[in-house]
Amino acid sequence: MKATLGVLALALGASGALLGIGTLAVGLARGDDRLLRVGRRYVYVVLAAALLAAAVMEWALLTHDFSLAYVANNNARATPLLYTITGLWAALEGSILLWGLVLGGYLAFVAHKFRNRATDPLVAWALLVGLVVALFFFGLMLGPANPFKTLGTVPSDGQGPNPILQNHPLMAFHPPMLYLGYVGFTVPFSFAIASLVTGRFGEGWLSETRRATLVAWGFLTVGIVLGAWWSYEVLGWGGYWAWDPVENASLLPWLTATAFIHSVMVQERRGMLRVWNLSLVIATFCLTILGTFLTRSGILNSVHSFTQSAIGPTLLVFLGIVAATGIGLIAWRGDRLRAPGRIDSAVSRESAFLANNLLFAALAFVVLLGTVYPLIAEALQNKQLSVGEPYFDRMTTPLGIALLFLMAAAPALPWRRTSGDVLRDRLLVPAWAGALTMVLAVALGARELAQVLAFGLGAFAVAGIVRQYVIGGRGRRRTTGEAWPVALVRMVRGNPRLYGGLVVHVGVVIVAVAIASSSAYSTKREVRLAEGQSATVRGYTLTYNGSHSQRSGQKNTVSADIRVRRGGDDLGTYAPSISTFPNASQGIGTPSVRTGFREDVYLTLVSSPNEQGRVTIGVAVNPMVLWLWVGGGVMALGTIVALSPSLRRRTKRVPEPVPVEPTPLEPEKVPV
Amino acid sequence: MRHRARWIALATGAVVAVLAVVLATQVGTDPRADANKSHLLGQNAPSVDLPTLDGGRVRSSDLAGKVVVVNFWNSWCIPCQEEHPALVEFFRRHAADPGFAMVGIVRDDTEGAIRRYVNDEGVPYTVALDPGAEASLEFGTRGQPETYAISPDGVIAGTQFGPSSVTNLENLYAAARGQR
Amino acid sequence: MSRRNVAWIALAAVVVITLAIVAWPGGGRPSDAARVRSVSSELRCPDCESQSIAQSSTETARAARADIRQRVAAGQSDGEIRQAYIDKFGPSILLKPESGGLGILVWGLPAAALVLGAGGLVLALRRWRREPHLHPTDADRELVQRARPR
Repeated sequence: MKATLGVLALALGASGALLGIGTLAVGLARGDDRLLRVGRRYVYVVLAAALLAAAVMEWALLTHDFSLAYVANNNARATPLLYTITGLWAALEGSILLWGLVLGGYLAFVAHKFRNRATDPLVAWALLVGLVVALFFFGLMLGPANPFKTLGTVPSDGQGPNPILQNHPLMAFHPPMLYLGYVGFTVPFSFAIASLVTGRFGEGWLSETRRATLVAWGFLTVGIVLGAWWSYEVLGWGGYWAWDPVENASLLPWLTATAFIHSVMVQERRGMLRVWNLSLVIATFCLTILGTFLTRSGILNSVHSFTQSAIGPTLLVFLGIVAATGIGLIAWRGDRLRAPGRIDSAVSRESAFLANNLLFAALAFVVLLGTVYPLIAEALQNKQLSVGEPYFDRMTTPLGIALLFLMAAAPALPWRRTSGDVLRDRLLVPAWAGALTMVLAVALGARELAQVLAFGLGAFAVAGIVRQYVIGGRGRRRTTGEAWPVALVRMVRGNPRLYGGLVVHVGVVIVAVAIASSSAYSTKREVRLAEGQSATVRGYTLTYNGSHSQRSGQKNTVSADIRVRRGGDDLGTYAPSISTFPNASQGIGTPSVRTGFREDVYLTLVSSPNEQGRVTIGVAVNPMVLWLWVGGGVMALGTIVALSPSLRRRTKRVPEPVPVEPTPLEPEKVPV
Repeated sequence: MRHRARWIALATGAVVAVLAVVLATQVGTDPRADANKSHLLGQNAPSVDLPTLDGGRVRSSDLAGKVVVVNFWNSWCIPCQEEHPALVEFFRRHAADPGFAMVGIVRDDTEGAIRRYVNDEGVPYTVALDPGAEASLEFGTRGQPETYAISPDGVIAGTQFGPSSVTNLENLYAAARGQR
Repeated sequence: MSRRNVAWIALAAVVVITLAIVAWPGGGRPSDAARVRSVSSELRCPDCESQSIAQSSTETARAARADIRQRVAAGQSDGEIRQAYIDKFGPSILLKPESGGLGILVWGLPAAALVLGAGGLVLALRRWRREPHLHPTDADRELVQRARPR
């Protein structure tokens, strides 16, 4: 019954999308406004269908209805409630369902936001493109990735979710956040295609989709950070980023989207870079599909290859169609899109954004190349290779450092042009803050170039941001006489985009410093302890106080009690464990982490007590890791600020000295 | 300079198309294929000197001149349990042959668990322990079960990664005998 | 020379000296332990997906660390150790692809792309700087006037 209902919901979604596409297409072809208004409403049908399908799936999970193959494979009677609910995204078919649901939500948001402009061909085309994407995913679920497939013989109990997917509550947040980010990029993509098709190259669609892009970017950022956190807390290898193909797949669209968020400002201000921005939007969407393909087709080795399925070829074909459409449209319209514009100086905000885009594009290229290189090598030489952390670290570190430098210097650059004096004035104090930080780091013993530069440039950037806040606040106080807190809040609310963006930058600096510290200054040891014995690692004394095992649900857990002391302070008892599940042959280690502001003590149970009662404990002391999550939070906060409505549409800017040169007389040119 | 965007777009399209073809050719191939074959095939087998479960030692030098089948396994690996009957059956067929020896080397397990397993299931051939996993590393194992057949002159003549059947094992044996 | 310029020159001196201290060669050959660390972090642990021998805590990884330690102590070069592992496990044991042969692609292309991109950017900037300033014509103003909501 549930299967029938679920498939009906999927069919409703698919036919809703199909009818919407048809209605909009006919309406656009005939210029019939009535059809366009009707066509818009099909978006809500799609959302309702996706909601219904997801509800049916949750209902099946909650009632442990093992007649559905998906439930039988990803749920068991003993699965705790939380992981029963998260079962919706524990495997491929459910994830696609979640994808469809989120897409339906975004499309409905667009349809609602533009309800008064339903007859605008740009909006109609955008909805049409969005519905085509929705149709693809509903088709996927009706075909090769059907979540409502039934089993001939109903098992009395299911297999339960993959063990590492039922080991930490972060599982409830990381995948949905990631999907909210991934899928959100459909909105700017739809509008980009619409603007190419209609030939409406104005900047209108940009400001209208900027919010959606920023929302998606924010969710993706949070999703990536949560993924790193989950990896750190669950996988037990002591790190948070392994350059695994799936991690790379989530990073790729983030990189191009970040480039877009910056370069779009050049287009808004100066009307330039239209082709480039459209390309970035289209590339971002293509990379989300590519990422899904890479992770779901089973062609790459990955810790995330939870399920392999037959949707690989289908996704690849869809990716080909999307890329061909985007590239074809740009080839067709690109030259007409080019806007006349000039950049006056290589030392200007515009140029800095261009450099930023070059670096982000290079980063995306490196990550993409490193990820697919094993496939290229196999196709060309029939040789299997791996590309891992050492390659990515080597290639991305210089680019990251260069980006940090830009982040420190660029916000001080005025638009159009500047004089050296202005720049030297604005940057002097922040640059000194950076230099002194470097001196301090070296005095404290730092000898790695990348680390020293990261600390210095980070301080440079933060000092520049503080300076901008202080000068803005001071200017406001001078004109309004408000108290500092009021002045700062009103200043931020007057231009949330700028000041929110700067908060995001602070988050980035925190993350960069945390990465630099934890990658260079971690200590890793393995100690073998009998009951009552102690070992000391980097000032921490660890005492093994025996182990115990317990059964809960399907899980059988052996944990070792480790008391951690530092000097005279008792830091408490931590219990790293190994769990075994009936559906996995190998035990799953769960680390236990003593989180600290300065450093974490990361304990893993490498092997359970042997015949002599000895355990092997993995001990890692990882500095600053907490700040990664804090930095991610600050980035999210900054995004929220940047998204908040501006108090005034146009803020009165605090005048900063911008030299105005007399423009030489030039032949007038009429914009095309 | 006319149609610059078009040319760039077409060039990008060409690169994307090449990438798509590369991806398409790889759909359906196993990324772990390389990890599932031994690079030691045709090479001299590494020499080992390991303690056995019954307190003796097993040395390569003592086994020279024989066909040796080496099986890496442990008590917690489910495919090892699956192939166990086939190994026992295969050993029973050849046990009487003086030119044949079979060793099960324990990979990544504790002695106690192995003893329990041997008591419960019965392992008629020599069980050698690999403390420190040196032999596992020497043989280039990636996991278990893995089975290697060594010819009388000490060359690795055949390998099987993953659970084996009696037929597999007979083929390995034939290869090591030089009958293939 | 203004005070500000003095401050900048002092800043440059501080930065250069600090970086020189950081970049100053540590003297002598790297220690054995450091070599074990660097070699084992570039080899994939044979029985895991993408972790290095240095990171992993599987028994094979531990054995491999011990083996690399022995090889370093026996005087083998980093290249020899890497080769020994390639012979045993195939090239996919390297986490950092070799730079020869097809490896030119994965190591060289990003650098080439960056240079190409930077070159393109410089050319574009030069062209953009040559673009004339635009001033609205009367026709433009009239368009704007008509478009403006009343």
